[in-house]
Order: sequence, then C-alpha cells, then structure tokens
Amino acid sequence: MANTKEESPVDGSTLSSNSNVPSQPNNPLSRKLNKILETRLDNDKEMLEALKALSVFFTENSLRTRRNLRGDIERRSLTINEEFARIFKEVKEELESVHEDVQAMSTCCEEMTNRLKAAKEQTQDLIVKTNKLQGENQRLEVRAQVAQAFLAKFQLSSEEMATLRRARDAPVTEDFFKVLSRVKHIHEDVKILLRTNQQTAGLEIMEQMAVLQEKAYEQLYRWAQNECRGLTQETCDISPVLTQAMEALQDRPVLYKYTLDEFGTARRCAVVRGFIDALTRGGPGGTPRPIEMHSHDPLRYVGDMLAWLHQATASEKEHLEALLKQVTLQGVGENMQEVVGHITEGVCRPLKVRIEQVIVAEPGAVLLYKLSNLLKFYHHTIRSIIGTSVASLLMTIEEMHLLSKKMFFNSLSLHASRLMDKVELPPPDLGPTASLNQTLSLLREVLTSHDSSVVPLDARQADFAQVLSCILDPLLQLCTVSASNLGTADMATYMVNSLYVMKTTLALFEFTDKRLEMLEFQIEAHLDTLINEQASYVLTRAGLSYIYNCVQQHTAEQGPLSLLPSMDSSSVKAAMVQFDRYLSSPDTLMMPQLNFLLSAAIKEQIFRQSTELVCRAYGEVYTALTSPANTYTDPETLLPRSPQQVQTLLS
Amino acid sequence: MTAAPYNYSYIFKYIIIGDMGVGKSCLLHQFTEKKFMADCPHTIGVEFGTRIMEVHGQKVKLQIWDTAGQERFRAVTRSYYRGAAGALMVYDITRRSTYNHLSSWLTDARNLTNPNTVIILIGNKADLEAQRDVTYEEAKQFAEENGLLFLEASAKTGENVEEAFLEAAKKIYQNIQDGSLDLNAAESGVQHKPSAPQGGRLNADSQPAKEGCSC
Repeated sequence: MANTKEESPVDGSTLSSNSNVPSQPNNPLSRKLNKILETRLDNDKEMLEALKALSVFFTENSLRTRRNLRGDIERRSLTINEEFARIFKEVKEELESVHEDVQAMSTCCEEMTNRLKAAKEQTQDLIVKTNKLQGENQRLEVRAQVAQAFLAKFQLSSEEMATLRRARDAPVTEDFFKVLSRVKHIHEDVKILLRTNQQTAGLEIMEQMAVLQEKAYEQLYRWAQNECRGLTQETCDISPVLTQAMEALQDRPVLYKYTLDEFGTARRCAVVRGFIDALTRGGPGGTPRPIEMHSHDPLRYVGDMLAWLHQATASEKEHLEALLKQVTLQGVGENMQEVVGHITEGVCRPLKVRIEQVIVAEPGAVLLYKLSNLLKFYHHTIRSIIGTSVASLLMTIEEMHLLSKKMFFNSLSLHASRLMDKVELPPPDLGPTASLNQTLSLLREVLTSHDSSVVPLDARQADFAQVLSCILDPLLQLCTVSASNLGTADMATYMVNSLYVMKTTLALFEFTDKRLEMLEFQIEAHLDTLINEQASYVLTRAGLSYIYNCVQQHTAEQGPLSLLPSMDSSSVKAAMVQFDRYLSSPDTLMMPQLNFLLSAAIKEQIFRQSTELVCRAYGEVYTALTSPANTYTDPETLLPRSPQQVQTLLS
Repeated sequence: MTAAPYNYSYIFKYIIIGDMGVGKSCLLHQFTEKKFMADCPHTIGVEFGTRIMEVHGQKVKLQIWDTAGQERFRAVTRSYYRGAAGALMVYDITRRSTYNHLSSWLTDARNLTNPNTVIILIGNKADLEAQRDVTYEEAKQFAEENGLLFLEASAKTGENVEEAFLEAAKKIYQNIQDGSLDLNAAESGVQHKPSAPQGGRLNADSQPAKEGCSC
C-alpha cells in the first residue's frame, strides 16, 4: 500500500517529466508503465534520500497529511531555504568583513612595500657597506690568526718572560735554558723575516730579542760567576746546571771567559790552601802527616809535594772537563790548558821556595841528580795532564829541574877541580889512586840512580854524555898528569889499570857504549907499549936482543953477519943456550909491572902477543943465521930449534 | 746556592799497588772502561782513573791512582799513598813471587796510609786456573791474619772486578757510618757549608774523599 501511495508522487513527477518527452510511437501508457516497472528503487539514491527525509516529518499517513504533503514539503523547503539564506547572510557578512580586513591588509602591505622599497633604497648603501665590512672583518680575522701565529713564533709567552726575568737569587733551572734557546731561535728566525718586506717588525723583534738575550746572558753570567765563586772547597762537584750554563755562555765569549776566570780563581785558592794544609797540617788528626815533616829527607819531601800537585792537577783537570763538557767552542782544549795553568799557578811560589831550599842546601851530587830526575819525571807527568808546557807550574818545575841539574854539574865540576888541585901520585902497585876510586864510586852512584830513574828512556839518554864527560874527562886528565913522571912500562901499566877500572865501572850501565869504545882504544894504545916492552924484556933476558938488533940493522955491504963483532958462532951459541933456558920455562920472564895489572885477561893478552913478537924475532934471527950469505958453519947445530919448534914450545 | 743536583756525595781515593805485571792497570781499565786491555804497557809512574758508583744508595766517586809496579818507581809511588781511603793490593795467582812480596807491599801500605785505610787483597788472573800457583785458601788465610778484605778476580773476564772496588767502598762507607772515620774532625778546619746534609768529607789527606757537597 505504502508503495502505491508513494508511487503516485513518483508517478506524478514521472508524468510531469515525461510530459515533456516527445511521445513515443508506442502506446505511451505502456511505456510509462514499463518505465515505472523498470525503475529500480534500490538504486535510485536520490529517491532513497528523499524518502528518508520525508520519513522525518511525514509521520502520520493520513489523507490530510497526504493532501498537505506538498505544502508541507514546500513549507519545509522554504524554511530550510530561509534558514540557508540567513546563514549565508551571516557568512556573507563575515566574508565582507574578511574582505575588508584583507583590503586593509593589502593596503597595509602596499604601504609597507612602499616603505620597504624606500627603506631598501635607503639601506642599499648600508648593505654595501656592511658587506664590505664583513669582508674586511674576515680578512682581519685571518690577519689576527696570522698575527697570533706570528706572535707565537716570534714572541715569548708571559711565563717564558717570567722565567727569563727570574729573581736575582733564584736558581737557574732547566726552563731558563729552554727559554734562552728560544730567544736565540727567534733571533735567528727574524733574519728570514728581514728578507721579506716585514723589515720593520723584523728589526724591532730582532732588537727586542737581542735585548732579552743580553739580559738573559748577563743574568746567567752573574749566576754562574756566583756559583763558581763558591767552588772553593778542596773537592768540588760541578752541577749539571753549571755545565749547561757554560754551554750557553760560550755564545758570549767575554762572559764565558770571565766565568772561566772566576772558576779558575776560586779553584786556585782552593788548591793553594789545600797544598799549604797538606804541607803544614797534614790530614785529619795528623794522618797522613804533614809533608813538611819529611823535609829532612829531600827526595821524599820533594816527591811528596810533587805527587800531591800531580793529583791536584789531575783533579782540577777533571773538574774543568766536567764544567766544559758541553762546550763546543773551538779551542776549548786551549781554554782548559789555560785555566788549569791558572789554577796551578798559585802553588808555584810555595813549591819553588821549598825546592830551592832543598837544592841550595847542597845535599850532594847524587841526591841533586836524583832530584833533577824526579823533577823531570813530574814535569813530564804533569805536562801530560795539562797538555802544554807553558803553564807556570810546569815552568817552575822545569826551572827547578834546571837548577838542580846545574847544581849537580857544579858539584861534579867542583869535585873534578878539587882532584886537579892536588894530583895524587900513582901508588907503588900502579893501581888506581884513591881519588880515582872515590870518583868512580860517585859515578857509579849517579849512574845507578840514572838507571833506576823514572824519566823516560829517551829523555834519560840526553844528559848522559854530559854526566860522563863531566866525570870521566877530568879523571883521564888526572891519570895522565899523575903518570907523567913514570917510566914507560910503569906509565902504561898505571894507565891500563886506571882505564880498566873506568871501563868496568861503565860497562854495567846503559848508553855507555861510545865511552867504552873510547876507553878500549886508549887501553889498546897502552897495551901496545906494554907488549913491546915485555917482548924486548924477554929478548934482553933471553940474550937474543943483541943478535936480533944486529940482524935487523945488518946490510949486505957490511959483509957476512958472522964477521960482525960478538956475532961469531960461539957468541951466538952462548946466546942460544940462554934462549933455550927461556924456552924451557917461558913464564919466568915477565916484567914486574905485568903483575900489577888488575885484569888477568889483559895480562894474558900482553903475554901472548909479546910471545908472538919474540917468536917473530927468533924467526928473523933464524932466517938470517941460516942464510949461506952470512957464512955460519953448521948453522943447524948453532940453531938447533926451528922457528916452528919455538912457536910450539911457547904457545 | 742552588738546589741543583750534584753528581755524587762522596769521593773515595783509592790506590792500586802490587808487583809489576800482576794486572793493576788492567783491573783499573776493566773497572773504568769495562774492557780488557790486552798487552797493556808498563805504567810509567802513576796513572789515574775515576768512576762514579753507587754504594748503599749513595753516589760515590772513586778516584783511583794506579801505580807502577817496577821497583824503580817505588820511591815515586810511595808519595801516592797519602790520603788514600782504600788500597787494592794485587798479586798474580799464577806467580807465587808476586804473592810472596805481599808483605812488603803491606808494610808500605800500613806505614804510608792512615789506620782507617781499607785494604783489599786481590788475586788477579783468576781465569788462568790451570796455571794457578797460589791457592785460594792460603791467600784467604793471609788476608784474615792481616785483617784484609779478599777476593780473587780476573781483569780479563771482568769477574769480581766490580765487586773488588765495591767491597772496599762499602767498607769505607761503613766506617763513615759508624764514625770510625771521623769526617767532622777531618773537615773542621778545611771548609764548609754548614748546610751540608750529611757529613762530611772523608778526608784523608787534606784532600780526601769528600762529602756530599752541600747542595
């Protein structure tokens, strides 16, 4: 039912709508019907919506309501439209107000735009300026960084400055040297800067660094000087900082030198005081005893002093080496020599006075000689430490060495001249005189001490010749003079004995070869004399002398030998008998002087060689007498022994 | 003055004595250079070496005087005993004669040093066991009878060399500690900074070993 009722409005509308549609050739009703029938309500959303809306107010399905439906709907539609119109009016008003606002905004914006435009026009300059400034700012920042870097490189930090400007009595530390070397570096680096166009800055920094450097060096110098001044104890320890200070100061030669001088002066005081203490006070509680306690023993006294100085010099050299360990300056070696020389200069006077006293006291030639050797030894030893011989200490020692040597030779000369003043006559046994023996024992002593000398070999050899000639030459002269009144054989014997003693004395020592050779020659000269003397002694005693002389002097013009006086057969025979007696015991015929010879070997040699001469003489005689020219009858019986037999018998 | 650190607290002076050829210089060389010196020449007079070593935690500088063994230098070397804090008396274990001469060396040492001088007997060349001519026991006995320290050492291998110098140094140090070496008396007239921390110098001559310097 409801459907039908509903259909009618639909139908109505359909009809109304269809009424406009051109009628179809078919039956319009059927078509309409068909259409209605074909209508699918489910799918017609509009219809559904309409029905839904209708169901809201169409609650009562009555005729009246049906009749009024249209009116209701229209009324309703009107209300809705009115409502709509009202709301839209509000909306419209709102919109209008918005529009006004927007209008206002637009005006405002426009105004602002204008203003902005004006402002922009006005600020154009400013912006340009700002941009420029910004650019500049950036550049400045870069510059600032550069400057910062520059400062870091070319300036000291405040801590560094503080380190450099340390308080007067503050200790110098490791940092100080670091800063100092930085200042030095900067000073060096600035030179590069000067090659650029930053000359002003460079010069300024350079000047500033130079000032700082000078200040620092001066401070360092004062400190080091002070430090050195305090090093007056006998033993001193060089602190590493002081060593470093010297290393730094070497860049300022003057300060470096002054500091070294200060060091030298302090050490010099210490050494002098130590030396005087060692001399006069000795060690603690008197051990070791003061050196002067031994002044009665010159060798020990002088030896102890020099040994002390040797040790002190070595210690001082060590201190100095520690001090200058890091100095790389050229000539540091000479510096050291100079300073060690300076340090050891102070002890020269006390040393010299004492040694002079010893020498002047004339302790005797041997002791003087030993002293001179000792001094020479220490000169050598200490020089090897100091490294030069121009140091005062060495000059003093050398001076004392020369003095003692001079005194030694004086003493020898004195001895010799005393010998010559009172020439002793040769003793009856023709042996060496007492003064010769005594002088030789002096020589022996000197040579012994020479042999055991501490002086190096080559240095020893040098004054050897002088010692020898100083003693031997006057001795030889002495012997010759004292022998001058003796007979030939006596003189020769005496001389051989004297020379022999000298030779045996010398033979025990080194470096005497030349002298020995000379003595040997002299001995041989005298030996020849003795050999001839002995031969003629034998010939005379054996009765051959006259015959031998005749044979030697005989010339053919004199006619046969047998006709000469005392050369007849019987005389010759008698002589031969005498000679035979000699042959049977040759030892009995010997000059008495030969028995005085000190050397058995020399005596033996004389005997042998003189015997040879005798043999030769016999040979000559034999040849002459057996010669037919000399008209001896039966020379075989006259001369029963051939020269060979004689030789055999005598040898 | 400064608080700068110093290198050592004491100086001990040593002397090395003994017959010629027993290896005195080689011992010294081994000690200072840690090297063996083959065919070392005869010492002329006196030579000198130093080394700093630690003794009971104290740095001690040893100043060592090495004397010539040759008889002709005897008079010279005698002057070096003065003020020695330690004496190393060396013989050669392969040569009995060098051992037999010890008493004469000992007499010299006793006469020329002070009573506190520490003497250590060293039998050198201990590496030449095969040629040994002096037994360890008899030398040990000799040392005991004479109140000497004793060690056998070898300058060649370095065996006991360090120890020899160290033993003597320890003994000297001990003497200082128990006051038998009177440092204060020693230095009284000679010097010093009152602030010196510990004692003084071990002075043996006027120049003995010294003390830690002030500092």
